Amino acid sequence: MRKHETAVFILPAGLLVCALLGVPMLMMARISLNHYDPMVLMVEALTAENYLRAVTDPYYQQVLMVTLGVALSSTVLTLLLAFPAAYWLSRMESRWKSTVTILTLFPLLVGNVVRSAGWIALLGNDGLINATLQEAGFIVGPLRLLYTPGAVIVGIVGVVLPYMVLTLSAVIEGIPRQVEEAAGNLGARPLTVFRRVVLPLATPGVVAGSVLVFILCMNAYATPVLLGGPQFQMMAPAVYDQFSRVSNWPFGAALAFILLIVTLLMTVVGSAALSRKYRAA
Amino acid sequence: MGTLSLQGLRKEYGQSVAVERVDIDVGEGELVSLLGPSGCGKTTTLRMVAGFIEPTEGRVVIAGQDVTKMPAYARQTGMVFQSYALFPHMTVAGNVGFGLEMRGVGRAERDRHIMEALKLVQLDHLSERLPRQLSGGQQQRVALARALVINPEVFLLDEPLSNLDAKLRAQVRGEIRALQQRLGLTTLLVTHDQEEALTMSDRLIVMEGGRVRQVGTAEELYENPADAFVADFVGRCNIVKGTIEGSAMRSESGSLLPCRMEGAPANASVLALRPERIAMQPGTDGSGLTARIGAVLYLGAQTEYQLDLDGTVLTAIRPTPQDNDALRHIKTGDTVNISWDPAAARLLPA
Ligand SMILES: Nc1ncnc2c1ncn2[C@@H]1O[C@H](COP(=O)(O)OP(=O)(O)O)[C@@H](O)[C@H]1O
Ligand SMILES: [Mg+2]
Repeated sequence: MRKHETAVFILPAGLLVCALLGVPMLMMARISLNHYDPMVLMVEALTAENYLRAVTDPYYQQVLMVTLGVALSSTVLTLLLAFPAAYWLSRMESRWKSTVTILTLFPLLVGNVVRSAGWIALLGNDGLINATLQEAGFIVGPLRLLYTPGAVIVGIVGVVLPYMVLTLSAVIEGIPRQVEEAAGNLGARPLTVFRRVVLPLATPGVVAGSVLVFILCMNAYATPVLLGGPQFQMMAPAVYDQFSRVSNWPFGAALAFILLIVTLLMTVVGSAALSRKYRAA
Repeated sequence: MGTLSLQGLRKEYGQSVAVERVDIDVGEGELVSLLGPSGCGKTTTLRMVAGFIEPTEGRVVIAGQDVTKMPAYARQTGMVFQSYALFPHMTVAGNVGFGLEMRGVGRAERDRHIMEALKLVQLDHLSERLPRQLSGGQQQRVALARALVINPEVFLLDEPLSNLDAKLRAQVRGEIRALQQRLGLTTLLVTHDQEEALTMSDRLIVMEGGRVRQVGTAEELYENPADAFVADFVGRCNIVKGTIEGSAMRSESGSLLPCRMEGAPANASVLALRPERIAMQPGTDGSGLTARIGAVLYLGAQTEYQLDLDGTVLTAIRPTPQDNDALRHIKTGDTVNISWDPAAARLLPA
């Protein structure tokens, strides 16, 4: 089949993306340039005032920084946790391999909201951990576990971990075992084999997994709202607040685009840096 | 270069035994090959030498030192993998220099050794290429250079030629052997290809079902196989089952085949006869054995004949007859007289 004939295959997906993503995005872009009036809400205009406010207002600067901080630390933590698991999974030889792979997907069956509710029951002031510790007499008052950045990061990592594990193990699977053995045969200890052979060859997986996870983290909604509490703000909930609570669509749209652009920039810069670091090893 | 000694090596995988009671000694500068059909435990044995798998029982001794419990990275073995296993993200020079780097050899000295090793395999002009930019034969040479540059005590080759095409295989076979002899490399070679083993080795070890069947030089194995399996696996051989009658063997289909009685083991149950030892005369004079030609396969320098002796099928291989030779015009369906020196027909255990 020739090239322009196979192109037909991307048509359904392409149309869907255009209709459900492209069109709303264009509308949002237009809205972000409108003016907001508390009395009449949105006024047709062509102004950059929403973007200016979003980048100069210390509150929203702070929200963006918190979002970046949470997303970056969650991504790094996820990577550190997922790599050993993915390695083990992809090097597994037993007949349980496919079962374990499916088990990896299991957490995805539990939606974010349900999962976060579970975390609340675990971490809250009257939650399982505090109750147990108090019962045992280790602490007097409850520890503050819930409504902390730590709770949000742990919660997000739990959500995105399966994506990272599966992305990484698909790539590690493609690294022949003999290549690792060859390094060992030439005198490399296990850690050196990892650093000089496995990691460089797994870089495409590290990049793909990190990009995927970073994007998911930047846009996290349910977890920061439920586990971060009212004082804790990240970008996605902030965008939603502007649209639904304040009804300031232009500002909400501007915030959304800033989130999108920052995510895109970080993704491009980060993956280029990672790829360069390990390509010529 | 050192010696290699495997003592009572055994490897179990759960209930099944992959390698059992393997005793092998490889002398300094000697090339010994492990020959056997697929699944007979050759790779498992080699990997126990390299240290990738731990034997269930037995010892691995390299250069006089018991290395059975030593991790692979601490053993001085140079292995060439069947798949070559080059580092795809490193250049040819990077691949070859890796082992030196692990040994803490400095930059300048490393580069010198890398170029020496690459010259040895005639690849010094490609040192900056990546493995994927090389042909299969070139990749194989890089793998050889990479294993040799670290001056290993023993050199391990796992089916080194199986990924090359037939023509290249014969050439590389000669090159590896020449290199091995020139550098005096103590080598253990694994192969399922008998021609490879026969042409390259000082000694061969025939394995089957995880056990060693026979050890010997190519000639010893070919002329004096210990059993029917070795006779059949090393070179081609007619194996005929039957019962001994006087100084001949009565085949199951009733033909009486002359054979050598002296030296025949008590448990002998088959007759082994090399195809090139069978002589043929066209026509029948009523004496000796008569066979019908079942097929004639022209192989160029040689011709192969399928002979049917009332149901017992033998294969004969003769130099292709000249124009004036009476055998020249023999064809399928003809009847011929066949004979052989009884000393060439050995009685062996199955
Ligand atoms: N990791 C393993 N687990 C279980 N059985 C194995 C394993 N590796 C090899 N075997 C078995 O051990 C036997 C010998 O294998 P191998 O040494 O690879 O044979 P060869 O190299 O002679 O073809 C085979 O029957 C094979 O199935
Ligand atoms: Mg093998």
